Amino acid sequence: MIEFFLDGVPMQAEQGQTVIQAARANGVDIPHFCWHPELSVPGNCRICMVEIEHDGNDPWFDISCNMPVTAGLKVLLNSELVKKIRKDTMAFITLNHPVDCGICNKSGECTLQDYHYEHNGAASLSRDPKTHATKFFPLSDRIMLDNERCIMCTLCVRFTHEVSKSHALGAVNRGDHTLIRPAEDANFNADQYSDNVIDLCPVGALLSRDLLDHSRVWYLQPTPSVCPGCERGCSINIWHRKHEWKLTALDPRMNASIDRVTPLENPAVNGLWVCNKARDLARLFERPRAEQAMQRGTAIPLSEAIASAARLIASSRNPVALVSSWGSNEELAAFHAALAQRLRAFVKVDHMPQPGEVLEDHLLIKPDKNPNRRGALAVFPALPDDVAQVMTPDTDLVLVWGEGFDGARIPDGATVIRLDAFAHDHNARADVFIPISIQTERSGHYTNFDGVVTAFSACFPLKPSIAHAASVFSGIAAALSVPADAVSVQLT
Amino acid sequence: MSDTIGTVAPLSGTKFFMNFPITATSHTLADYTARGGYQALEKALHQMQPAEVTKEVSAAGLLGHGGAAFPAGRKWGVVKLDDGEPHYVCMNADEGEPGTFKDRWLLEHVPHLCLEGLIIGSYALQGRHAFIYIRGEFDLSHRRMADAIEEAYDAGLLGENILGTGYSCDVVLYRGAGSYVCGEASAMLASLEGKKGWPRNRPPRLTVKGLYQKPTVVNNVETLANVPVIISRGTVEFKKVGTAKSPGTQMISISGHIARPGVYEVEYGYPWQKFIYEDCGGMQGGATLKCIIPGGVSTKLLSAKEMEPLTLDHNSALAGGSQLGSGGMIAIADGTCMVRLAQVIQRFYHHESCGQCTPCREGMGWMERILNRIVAGGGRPEDIDRLYQISTANDGTTICSLGDSAGYACSAILDHYREEFEYFITHKRSMYGGGLVVDDPFASALAATGSQT
Repeated sequence: MIEFFLDGVPMQAEQGQTVIQAARANGVDIPHFCWHPELSVPGNCRICMVEIEHDGNDPWFDISCNMPVTAGLKVLLNSELVKKIRKDTMAFITLNHPVDCGICNKSGECTLQDYHYEHNGAASLSRDPKTHATKFFPLSDRIMLDNERCIMCTLCVRFTHEVSKSHALGAVNRGDHTLIRPAEDANFNADQYSDNVIDLCPVGALLSRDLLDHSRVWYLQPTPSVCPGCERGCSINIWHRKHEWKLTALDPRMNASIDRVTPLENPAVNGLWVCNKARDLARLFERPRAEQAMQRGTAIPLSEAIASAARLIASSRNPVALVSSWGSNEELAAFHAALAQRLRAFVKVDHMPQPGEVLEDHLLIKPDKNPNRRGALAVFPALPDDVAQVMTPDTDLVLVWGEGFDGARIPDGATVIRLDAFAHDHNARADVFIPISIQTERSGHYTNFDGVVTAFSACFPLKPSIAHAASVFSGIAAALSVPADAVSVQLT
Repeated sequence: MSDTIGTVAPLSGTKFFMNFPITATSHTLADYTARGGYQALEKALHQMQPAEVTKEVSAAGLLGHGGAAFPAGRKWGVVKLDDGEPHYVCMNADEGEPGTFKDRWLLEHVPHLCLEGLIIGSYALQGRHAFIYIRGEFDLSHRRMADAIEEAYDAGLLGENILGTGYSCDVVLYRGAGSYVCGEASAMLASLEGKKGWPRNRPPRLTVKGLYQKPTVVNNVETLANVPVIISRGTVEFKKVGTAKSPGTQMISISGHIARPGVYEVEYGYPWQKFIYEDCGGMQGGATLKCIIPGGVSTKLLSAKEMEPLTLDHNSALAGGSQLGSGGMIAIADGTCMVRLAQVIQRFYHHESCGQCTPCREGMGWMERILNRIVAGGGRPEDIDRLYQISTANDGTTICSLGDSAGYACSAILDHYREEFEYFITHKRSMYGGGLVVDDPFASALAATGSQT
């Protein structure tokens, strides 16, 4: 460790750290646009300029992102010179920026906006027209680019070169008419991590086509969660409408919809990034839901369905259960405590990779597309590929928890109990069908392929006609423990 | 030897380069060896260790001729010969500074001398590959250099086992695509690697991590052309020429409203006034010298009065408040509108700003827009202060030095001729009615040299 000084305060730094890194490690944030802890240092925004106290006469100032810390280095973060340089740089950056915050999606979480008020705050000094560039350039099927808002920090370009390795973005032209453009010989659409550049962009230049003009960010709140897209289990923030900004006049479903997904830093799992599948969780979770308990297609109350399921289990001689690899550790434990004595349970694969889906890559994506298979396998054995091994002809009851197992593989004549969150045709064919909650309606933990356990929290309230799977299991267990004719189920 | 087709300037003093009559074949290997060419290479390869070559160049005090006048020997000395890494020497022939065309003369007329310097430099740094980055617009220079490389390969002066010494070196000739900033060493290496020609932050220096992240020395054409001179003549002879602090000669390309524009080779320390008024024949049509841009438009201009006591060497130019830079002089006659000059210079910088770092990317365009508005008659009183402010905000805040120098160019004009800007802003027209008082420079230049084209 070496000692250096930030505005006179002694601080410790590691050998080889730059000033901006050392300051950050000590909890001091030096303003920056182009610098990013995970990317190379281009030093092009020039806002992180600091002054160094020294014996010479000429002022010594340089960018802190490229300045190695040396022992005894006296860094000034707020000298008059530094303030002047920051103000000048902010004036340059906003010179050709349209300052259209009123209609900009990034407004409210824009670094340029924050820094402007922090370091400049003055109106533009220019009386000449701003340069014009392309508005709404379709960078990919997912991302729009507003070149006028771009401040050429090149974070997006470096991300595609250094992290996602698609090499799909570059800069064309020179000077104040430089433009970010897709590379001719690469395909930004095929970049599985492309949406990270939207988060990286310090201004509103890179825009998600999903969120564009959809909502102001200050109406949204993040809830920490886990991406169920694959066994990696990336930590994410699910952004949804704040309760106090609940919509009353428009479609009320918008109050319980996923507006966007952003990565949540988790060095043990995903670092700072997530893939595009995580961004599209709305498409996964907002499929048509199963909201009604049924008995062979006839709607029945939820409590009756649970009692019915208990009766069927009680009267079966050789019942088999297929537990979900999308269940949380808590739900799996609840199943184990409640029903493992009665049913032979096996872990099934809920989701198979979709056609065209990337199976595995250099960064995050893993081949198993279920979030908690490892957690489930810690409690129950896996369902063999040949299901006849476990579902022998004398199997007279099959409990299917979750998606991904159709009726054709169930032995003829066996009774079927299904627990599913989504609407499927086979739901109505089950002897008893119980609708259950999805991840965004409950809290819990998943264990990823590496054994890392990550928590997720509920974002939305649960409808009264839908039950948490854990409650269903304990309800069935409670019903089984009393005589069959006196069953009365209390949902917890 | 065929007929002489050109003359070299009748300038007194030692000539390292312009010391032979230019003929149709004077640039070829045969003529060059007849003049004693490639003897320095033979001497270096046969009689000297690589470190000795660097030592010799250091001892000679050879300064870089690209503009910054950094001691070449010190640059070479940074590279450690035993670090186990490949080393590269790159000849910077991307001569794009407005007003500078001295490297072009060297590339066209003594390509073998430049090449010999490159091979010796490469030997001194034990580089297996050497690179020449030549400006895209230089057609004849490119062809002559390409021919020279072919001839050198055929003669065993390049490739495997040069002159039977076991040292091997291959030269890569790379043509630029017309970007000014690629003359900046780190941008040049980025361009050479096939990337966008964007300069890179130091540290690390290029001599630590340069081309392909390996130690690289980038030298100007003229700097490398001096190397064979030093090796063959010896340090003592070399240092006899020029001044103590700036030994050797400097190629000066002079243009503008001068009677005899062209390329001249002067000894360092040559009186500036004598050079302008006697050797270059003074101003066109007997006009008075208003000011002079000493070393490419990136250096601060000097008024005629400021220039008079100075001599042509780095220290004297520095003492006069400017730099000798790349030796690209532009003489400007009385009656030239400095507002328009600033506009033209600023248009160049706006066009050539690479767009990487903020102050230069935004500032150059801003300055040009202000100057365009002044010239169009829409100037405002605060514009002059604004121009100063933008120049200052560019000073030292950019990745490469082109941002600073672009600011200097404009602020120096403002320093000297502020009243012309004020006049233009108040009267909405130039102090000089817009016209130049001198003759058409091309017609006069042709008349003065008697060329038939």
